[in-house]
Amino acid sequence: MPEIFIDNKRYEFEEPGKVLQFMLDNGLDLPFFCYHPSLSIPANCRQCMVKAGMPVYDREKGTFEIDENGERVIRFFPKLMTACSLDLADGMVVLTHHTDELVKQAQADNLEFILINHPLDCPICDQAGECPLQILTYKYGPEGSRFEHKKVHKPKAIQLGPRVILDAERCINCTRCVRFTDEISKTHQLTIISRGDKNYPMTAHGQIFDDPYSLNTVDICPVGALTSADFRFKARVWEMNQTPSIDISNGKGCSTWMWTRDNLVMRVTPRFNEAVNDHWMPDAGRLAYRRFNENRISKPQLRLDDAEQVRTSWNNAQLTLLEELEKISAGDILVIGSAHASVEDNYALRTFFSNKGVSEFRFLPHIIPGSGDGYLISDDQAPNTNGVRALGFQETDEKTLIKLIKSTKPKMIVILDDDLLGRTSLTPDHLSGAWTIVFGTNHDETTRTANLVVPVTTAAEHAASYVNVDGRIQRTVPAKETLYTNRRLNLEMSMGRLDHYGTKFDNWVTDANRVDCISAWEFFIRLEHDGDAPKWESSRQIMEEIAGLFSTFRQVSYDRMDEENGIQLKLEQDTEVKPA
Amino acid sequence: MADTYTFDAKDLAEIKKITDKYPEKQAAVLPVLWYAQDKFGHTDSSVQQLVAGTLGVPEAHIRGVVSFYTQYYENPMGRNVLDVCTCLSCQVCGGYDMLHYIEEKLGIKAGETTPDGEFSLQSVECLGACGYAPMLQVTNDKFVNHLTREKVDKLIDDLRAGKQPEFESNPMPQHEKGS
Ligand code: SF4
Ligand code: FES
Repeated sequence: MPEIFIDNKRYEFEEPGKVLQFMLDNGLDLPFFCYHPSLSIPANCRQCMVKAGMPVYDREKGTFEIDENGERVIRFFPKLMTACSLDLADGMVVLTHHTDELVKQAQADNLEFILINHPLDCPICDQAGECPLQILTYKYGPEGSRFEHKKVHKPKAIQLGPRVILDAERCINCTRCVRFTDEISKTHQLTIISRGDKNYPMTAHGQIFDDPYSLNTVDICPVGALTSADFRFKARVWEMNQTPSIDISNGKGCSTWMWTRDNLVMRVTPRFNEAVNDHWMPDAGRLAYRRFNENRISKPQLRLDDAEQVRTSWNNAQLTLLEELEKISAGDILVIGSAHASVEDNYALRTFFSNKGVSEFRFLPHIIPGSGDGYLISDDQAPNTNGVRALGFQETDEKTLIKLIKSTKPKMIVILDDDLLGRTSLTPDHLSGAWTIVFGTNHDETTRTANLVVPVTTAAEHAASYVNVDGRIQRTVPAKETLYTNRRLNLEMSMGRLDHYGTKFDNWVTDANRVDCISAWEFFIRLEHDGDAPKWESSRQIMEEIAGLFSTFRQVSYDRMDEENGIQLKLEQDTEVKPA
Repeated sequence: MADTYTFDAKDLAEIKKITDKYPEKQAAVLPVLWYAQDKFGHTDSSVQQLVAGTLGVPEAHIRGVVSFYTQYYENPMGRNVLDVCTCLSCQVCGGYDMLHYIEEKLGIKAGETTPDGEFSLQSVECLGACGYAPMLQVTNDKFVNHLTREKVDKLIDDLRAGKQPEFESNPMPQHEKGS
């Protein structure tokens, strides 16, 4: 097998590749800025320089030349090479800063050079704490700068587009952002203008950077030159908790990180997942974080005799539902599942009501044809269409549903987290003949019309699974506490620095922003006066039960989903949902 | 911005000749920008838009190219552009004197254009003619070397009369025969 010697240690490689990527794959360190594994390689930052050479081959003898110590004679390239663009070659010798003074010096000098005109405004820069320039300067840079002159000034706080702000002085002209729009989002909206120490990225004259994927440039910018208009100055990265999750704002289900502070989701960023979204995600999915924080339903709401809805206790909400169930026979109940809710919650809904004797379960896919782009934005607006379908909920379009309500006149309608009134032509009149119970996360038209509203957790607050448009099941991890969860006790939840070292009495810690809600499945097990209530302790356990019952979900478990970053299911029917 | 610039059929035929020489459209960006600048006198944002549309190359890329090369004019210029070198060798040999003389004569500062649109004046970095310092370049074309006030006077009169300077051959002393 071909071999390469890095810092005098032998490594074998199978596939052709570049030295830098090979080193990263093998856990070796080398500083770099412009290289990105998913983009082309311009080798323009010059930070990844190494000393490289090849053994001298004696053609006549057909052997490698050997020196007096019995070692191969190495002929080094006359200058340092950029590892990001250097092809692996059999027998190649690479020396990095660990073994070569020249490389070490070159790395420090290059950083000094890059920093010459850099404003060094880290204390007020959003990137601080997650800035490759800052980190690499600590690790590889010089102590100080010898540059005593006035720095070059460039435009600051330029609104490049609705979501991205540019500080040209901080830019190191790595061209990652330009390559992203050229190679990944293909909008070609950015370029580097001017030259020398005056250059920085810009759009064409009079154009705005409104790429639907524009915020990815903020992630890959190795400095604070591009920042998010929304997240700017909101939080320091070290104050936040970082929890792995998935994007529930459309059907693709990009892997994400949810960043929380004080029980508010501050931002959402993509998490690498080769099978779904690589390093990227659409802007819309990031900005959808607001629904986790704002306009939440906290505490059950009950309508008494056509009056306004009033807040009520959980106990009362449970009793009210049980009372209604006493009065109404199973045949008069219409249960509508939701592609916006998780597999577990839909399953719990179904289980509870089939125990009651209900046999018809329906759901309305939420698809806007033509709104997707065939990449990471799908026509499907809901994260779990395939999941609900695989649980046996019958796919129904709005016309059929309205007809069904008119003809069968159900006495009770159960709606799981889905704003049917807001997004379809269903009106309050259609529901007026029935007693409606809605499980909802945010106030919307549907919850406002309900007789009983049960506040349920969002993807930011529960551990639950969703099946994306391609039939991949992935799960969320609770990122944000509810009134009933506790970061310190729930081992599933991540702890940030403030959680570890702060106490409830520190003035920078707040207990606010905890919503009074529970997962839908928890509501059903709390109906314990009722002998039919299922006995689950966690959503993990529900998934185990589902895996045992449904062939589609066979062998699905939380552990496997975590290890494999989601599991591809074999769906029985076409995954493409046909709109009516 | 209103699309006030267009290529007519003859222009498009010329541009086709240029693009035919290259395997990819992007490679034709420089010569087509030259063509456009010759025709319109500059390559401002509307011209950039026109070139981008004609070639099917992203407009942002065209802007990057235009702003990289100082020879493309991102803003409309006078009919004649005088690039006076004020880099080291010319500076030592009186480049600034020449620049200031021209400024006075035309009544404008470097970076400005005369109100009649006849002349634009710029102070530029080394044009690679240190041996003939001080010097200037006329509209990205001929060099006028060994500048003196008289030479400047004549140049400006000539240019006003629509006469471009001649190419001057300046052999270096070491290349002169017999030396
Ligand atoms: S803005 Fe950031 S990503 Fe773009 S070229 Fe500058 S440093 Fe690189
Ligand atoms: S990473 Fe920038 S030159 Fe190699």
